[in-house]
Amino acid sequence: MSEQLLPTATGRETWAAVRGLLRGRLLKTGGAFAVLVAATSAGLLTAPLLGRIVDLVADGHPASALTTPIVLLVLVALVQGGLTALGVALVAGVGEEMLARLREQFVARALRLPLERIERAGSGDLSARVTADVSIVAEAVRRALPQLARSGLTIVLTLVALAVLDWRFLLAALLAVPVQAHTVRWYARRAIPLYAEQRVSVGAQQQQLLDTVGGAATVRTFRLADRHVDLVTERSTATVTLTLRAVRLMTRFFGRLNLAEYIGLSAVLVTGFVLVRADAATIGTATAAALYFHNLFNPINVALSLVDDAQVAAAGLARLVGVASLPATPETAAAEVTGGSVKAAGLGHAYLPGHPVLHDVDLHIEPGERVALVGASGAGKTTVAKLVAGIHQPTSGTVHLGGVRLDELGPSATGGTVALITQEVHVFAGRLDEDLRLARPGATGDELRAALDRVGALRWADALPDGLSTVVGEGGHALTVTQAQQLALARLVLADPPIAVLDEATADAGSAGARVLEEAATAALAGRTALVVAHRLTQAATADRVIVLEGGRVVESGTHDDLVAAAGRYATLWAAWSTTRPRNVPPESAQ
Amino acid sequence: MRGDRGTVLGRAIGGQRRHVGQAALLAAGHQAGEALVPVLIGVVIDSAVATGSVTRLVLWLAVLGAVFAALSTSYRFGARAAERASEWAGHDLRVRLTRRILDPRGGAETGRLAGELTNIATGDARRVGGVNVVLPSAIAALTGLLVSAAALLWISVPLGLVVLLGAPPLLWLGHLLGRPLERRSAVEQERAAHASGVAADLVAGLRVLKGIGAERAAVDRYRRTSQESLAATVRAARAQAAHDGAILALTGVFIAVVALVGGRLAASGEISVGDLVAAVGLALFLLSPLQLFAWVNAELAQGRASAKRIAAVLAAPPAVAGGEAPLPDPVRGHVCLSGVHHGPLSGVDLDVAPGELLGVVAPDPAAATALLSALARDADPPQGTVTLDGTPLSTLDPADLRAAILVAAHHTTLFAGPLMANVTPVRAAGDGPVARAMAAATADEVARGLPDGADTVLGERAQSLSGGQRQRVALARALAADPPVLVLHDPTTAVDAVTEARIAAGIREMRAGRTTIVVTTSPALLAATDRVAVLDGGTVTVVGRHTDLVAADPTYRAAVLA
Repeated sequence: MSEQLLPTATGRETWAAVRGLLRGRLLKTGGAFAVLVAATSAGLLTAPLLGRIVDLVADGHPASALTTPIVLLVLVALVQGGLTALGVALVAGVGEEMLARLREQFVARALRLPLERIERAGSGDLSARVTADVSIVAEAVRRALPQLARSGLTIVLTLVALAVLDWRFLLAALLAVPVQAHTVRWYARRAIPLYAEQRVSVGAQQQQLLDTVGGAATVRTFRLADRHVDLVTERSTATVTLTLRAVRLMTRFFGRLNLAEYIGLSAVLVTGFVLVRADAATIGTATAAALYFHNLFNPINVALSLVDDAQVAAAGLARLVGVASLPATPETAAAEVTGGSVKAAGLGHAYLPGHPVLHDVDLHIEPGERVALVGASGAGKTTVAKLVAGIHQPTSGTVHLGGVRLDELGPSATGGTVALITQEVHVFAGRLDEDLRLARPGATGDELRAALDRVGALRWADALPDGLSTVVGEGGHALTVTQAQQLALARLVLADPPIAVLDEATADAGSAGARVLEEAATAALAGRTALVVAHRLTQAATADRVIVLEGGRVVESGTHDDLVAAAGRYATLWAAWSTTRPRNVPPESAQ
Repeated sequence: MRGDRGTVLGRAIGGQRRHVGQAALLAAGHQAGEALVPVLIGVVIDSAVATGSVTRLVLWLAVLGAVFAALSTSYRFGARAAERASEWAGHDLRVRLTRRILDPRGGAETGRLAGELTNIATGDARRVGGVNVVLPSAIAALTGLLVSAAALLWISVPLGLVVLLGAPPLLWLGHLLGRPLERRSAVEQERAAHASGVAADLVAGLRVLKGIGAERAAVDRYRRTSQESLAATVRAARAQAAHDGAILALTGVFIAVVALVGGRLAASGEISVGDLVAAVGLALFLLSPLQLFAWVNAELAQGRASAKRIAAVLAAPPAVAGGEAPLPDPVRGHVCLSGVHHGPLSGVDLDVAPGELLGVVAPDPAAATALLSALARDADPPQGTVTLDGTPLSTLDPADLRAAILVAAHHTTLFAGPLMANVTPVRAAGDGPVARAMAAATADEVARGLPDGADTVLGERAQSLSGGQRQRVALARALAADPPVLVLHDPTTAVDAVTEARIAAGIREMRAGRTTIVVTTSPALLAATDRVAVLDGGTVTVVGRHTDLVAADPTYRAAVLA
């Protein structure tokens, strides 16, 4: 099983995608940044105004002379506050819009990926992207982007302001830059792999806890508590150790930045000293310069500490863009499907080249016929089901549905023609009626109720706390496995395709639930061409025809009665099932 | 509950008190150093820049350097000590929670989902541990506050009072402005998080969507959710921006007031120019410890809420009491239920002979579950007794009992790890029984079909296996444990008929001579049993051999062959 991860975009492709998202929002983005620049510039007037006050006092002006700069200070504060609010809101708006657009593109693309492709990548890949990567990028847009924009602007504009006071102040302040640049490089080199390792470790710890806690009943049954506590302890210790290593690194990072702060501040103060002594600057100017630099401490720390957030977000973005910009499967001009016949000829399939699991399978199902597929595990039943449902492309041979070749049908026409229900159940988080409407978006309440009624689910659905409006699935009302599978069958009724494939759709519910589901399945399949992978032979006994697979080949085909009479493989199976032969030994002789 | 919550927090802090104390001391040093920086800028301006004295410039820059060195070192080691205390306290809680959840007497999961418990063991444990970072910060903030207050009052009493009396109302005003926004933004951020939740859910159900061709409907639905989330997030961001802007404006006005008072004092010669510079710097600095207090408050509130959730799990009453009676040695495996009332069971009498292979047919799934929970001692029946070789189960320690009676539930968990590690979970019972168990459950075939055989690493919940394959591995595990009494519940519902028949024979052979109870309606399994008991309407209605019952009892025939 060679895994082939979904694509990750290169730096250039990621940029292209971001530019694509920006297109049409250029004015808005430019406007937002202009407002932030104005806000930051206004804020920078505070220091020279304070310097002016110092100068006025130092020159022995009366207290009344201070009124103008003080009033200006108040004005600056109000303007800066107002503009910052506006600018940040605008930047956040643009960022959020782009983020929403990206995640919509991503989900639209991800949901239309061929299942084959997702399975090759391992199902964890896509779900990690949709959860972890989306939230990392969102977090960056929400928190880091506005902070970075404000800090960056403050730094740049403060340096400009220092130069305006006197270009020599700027030179003095820039003395800190080599130390900072070196520190960031030093940090990034160590932090990126360390944080990556830490995230993996946190994930492993979470996984272990889910495994242990989710399986608590099994742990108790097999008395594995000590081992599982050890496993949790081990994972947790690993995570703590890595986290503390990251903390050490971070404290060293900020320690080095402190050094840069000291170098810059001293240089600015010395410059002020020299300039004042040479009468090239006033004490007020020197004060303003020192205050400017002191006010840079925070924005510089914020901007530099966002370096690794930015790296992580960029990696997440690349993984989202990689999927979002995959070319879509072309929709072929769908030939008209007529009726619900299924015709497969010479089907062969190999998941791994050289390891065929099906050989030359021919299958012909009349419209409205119900065929049961029987055989041992590994006989190829599920593969046949997937090929007929169009989930996989056969390695050799063809499948015709309603007279049209499957590969000429196009993805959405295939979806409308054939449905596949497996034992894998999923209840979509949200209201029950919305879950059902995924199968038929415009369905009326009556249609939903009729579908539930047909599969025998209306009674319990009505008995839910809020009826069909009850929130079910993850985080909502928990449905039993049987109920969830009934829901899947109700979706089938609503989607109403002419052909349905059921792959052990009644398997996981326990023996009592299985019977309920068999009745539901019979009701849901009425009027449809059906291929049913059966492991309970009662399903086979009630089918129109039974096909027995063995080692990837069809070995028997006929009605239940014919096959039982033929005394072949199926007859042996049926005997084992419905046995009335005395094959059990009394307890006394069992010793 | 309050006391428990207090204990959880108290232990988290007390267990790390050395680190916490060290962190508090160092963080205080750091804050004091940060407060001194603006003061020293003022001193340099005042005594060096204004006078032109090189000696003083050098002297005070050296002092500034010393302060930087001290504040940097205190930060470095203080932060490390605080994080160490926080992480290890969280770790301790995580391990304690795990131990409690896995306690043989059970009870911790009652009413809680696995995801919720996992969140308590990760997020809540981390937040309670995080109190160890918050406490030193609070102490440090207080120190910073006191140092800057002292410095301000030393410069000038009236100016100091303006700053000290002005700052708290300023922050209070900011808090007041922020509160409604915070409430709103919390709600809206929750709605924003919903969009990613919906996306993850759709991806998780992708096969189901594809199965019924509902991709387009799902994409449309997601787009709506995403747009709703967008609107909510933008509203939240606007509220947040307005709040930040207001705080910025208020702070600026505050600085203007300080400059006004300070400037007038300096103009009248009561304070020096350097004092004025220092006062403005201190006024700005003062806002950060005050803001820190607001953060400390919020974090402590969260820590308390988390501690409460943790305390509730740790103090959850056990589902069954312990017991001291010794296990019979050796266990013969005579299981007897008499007059058991338990949920839907109303007076079950059942005697299982040592070494017998008994089938139990329970058309009502709830009755089957109740029977299994009584045998596993997940709960003690309120009426009636269950005995093992004459010893009531309720007098046995649940952990001892499970060594004698193993109840393999239908919904069981396979753990992440190699397939073989699942089958031989504790002690290697020797290769013989394990190999026999693998063969009896036909799990050896499952292993042969995997890339690395029995050493293949199974992912979370072994989801890479099909339902039938999982059941076969789980059955092999139960058989390999080789307990004196084994209870199986619907072990083969997802297994095809061919294999099921072989498994039935395998179970019979593997369990020969030891008590085995199979709760099932599968005719293939029932045909392999010695006797079958039918549990209907809360009592045992009929006991007999499968073949006889099939032949003579139409209800039975309907139950197992329909």
